[in-house]
Amino acid sequence: MSTVEDDEQDLTRKQRREQARAKRKELEQAEAASAVRRTRLTQLGIVVAIVVVIIIAVVIATGGGAKKGVPKASELPKVSSEVTSLVGGIPQNGNTLGNPNAPVTLQYFGDLECPICRDFTLGALPSLIQKYVRGGTLKIEYLSLETATKEPETFKTQQIAALAAGKQQKMWDYIELFYHEQGEEDSGYVTESYLQKLAQQVPGLNLTTWTSARSDAELANSVTSDGQAANNAGFTGTPSFLIGKTGGRMQKLEYSSLTEPASFDSAIESALKA
Amino acid sequence: MSSRRLRITLLVLTVIGLGVASYLTYIHYAGIKPLCGRNGGGCEIVQTSEYSKLAGVPVALIGLIGYVTILGSLLAPETETSRFATVALTVVGFGFSAYLTYRELFSIHNICEWCVSSAVIVTVLMCLATWRFLRGDAAASGTPTQAEIGGPEAGAPLGAAHS
Repeated sequence: MSTVEDDEQDLTRKQRREQARAKRKELEQAEAASAVRRTRLTQLGIVVAIVVVIIIAVVIATGGGAKKGVPKASELPKVSSEVTSLVGGIPQNGNTLGNPNAPVTLQYFGDLECPICRDFTLGALPSLIQKYVRGGTLKIEYLSLETATKEPETFKTQQIAALAAGKQQKMWDYIELFYHEQGEEDSGYVTESYLQKLAQQVPGLNLTTWTSARSDAELANSVTSDGQAANNAGFTGTPSFLIGKTGGRMQKLEYSSLTEPASFDSAIESALKA
Repeated sequence: MSSRRLRITLLVLTVIGLGVASYLTYIHYAGIKPLCGRNGGGCEIVQTSEYSKLAGVPVALIGLIGYVTILGSLLAPETETSRFATVALTVVGFGFSAYLTYRELFSIHNICEWCVSSAVIVTVLMCLATWRFLRGDAAASGTPTQAEIGGPEAGAPLGAAHS
């Protein structure tokens, strides 16, 4: 009996030892696994931190918002004379630049705060004006489509300010000045004084008439209907363009560059031949 | 998901991303218009904007190089280092895509479907690569994961988990 009891006690002791060893092993494994996990998380954290720093550096280096060439006060007369030499002497009627009987019409959907519209206005547009508008082949209509401007009220106010200059056949002077002096995006630069300052730079604009025209309901309706026209054409971005024979069917203009006029040239030529 | 299946999923996604980046790089250098969704204009505006290049290098080419590098890290023998390389590269890719999407939304105000698809691919890649890195892998380290130890096949040879 006693031998059997001793054996049983030995077995239990052995089992206990094994159990303790297994538990220890398990603990060690768990500790090792958690150490590995900690190392991996640290490595991952370092990579994420480096990437975040690089992104911030790239955003700062490429300009927090869009790059802007806001002219200094001393440069304003130069900008104003540039604009005058570009559109001066070309007939204007409301939102239209060019001969009313021009065979081809280009509709330009834009937002005055949109930096890419600025790229087009300062890039490909001057060449089109010189080559086709001045010669009477093309007329350009400017239509409003809100994209870059965050506040709908600001958008309406600034687009109406341009349309109000159109009541004195000077909308294109105002548009050109706006794009030339466009400020840092989302910086809230479009204030009443900014709009007034632009108006003061338009040669020959009667400020009293311009101010009273800004409350004209017809202009507000025009901004709304431009937005609807853009919607009907399926446009969601600016600048977007429709082109066609004057009075005929307008087609979407596809372009490969906004700074080079080549795509616009060929679209105008084919509209002329149509 | 077995580590083999996970690796194949990562490879397939990377090859799709590589296709997108190759197409965008090709159209950039060929000077042709991208095939685009419903409104047509968005892709061209994005592709021709000043943000389509970073330090003079087309972003499409940067993306292509990125996908090739990710592919390389996936094709390399699977080790802790190669899994870390994949996760690090996909985190960089995700960061780059996040920057480009920010530019599309807040600077260009137009969306390019091709860029969005690449951003989605790289985001999924990053999530899967992170999961793969954090859980480790029995085949590469020689130590089975907890999931592989447990269950009725606990006594089966290590390789059995992957057969």
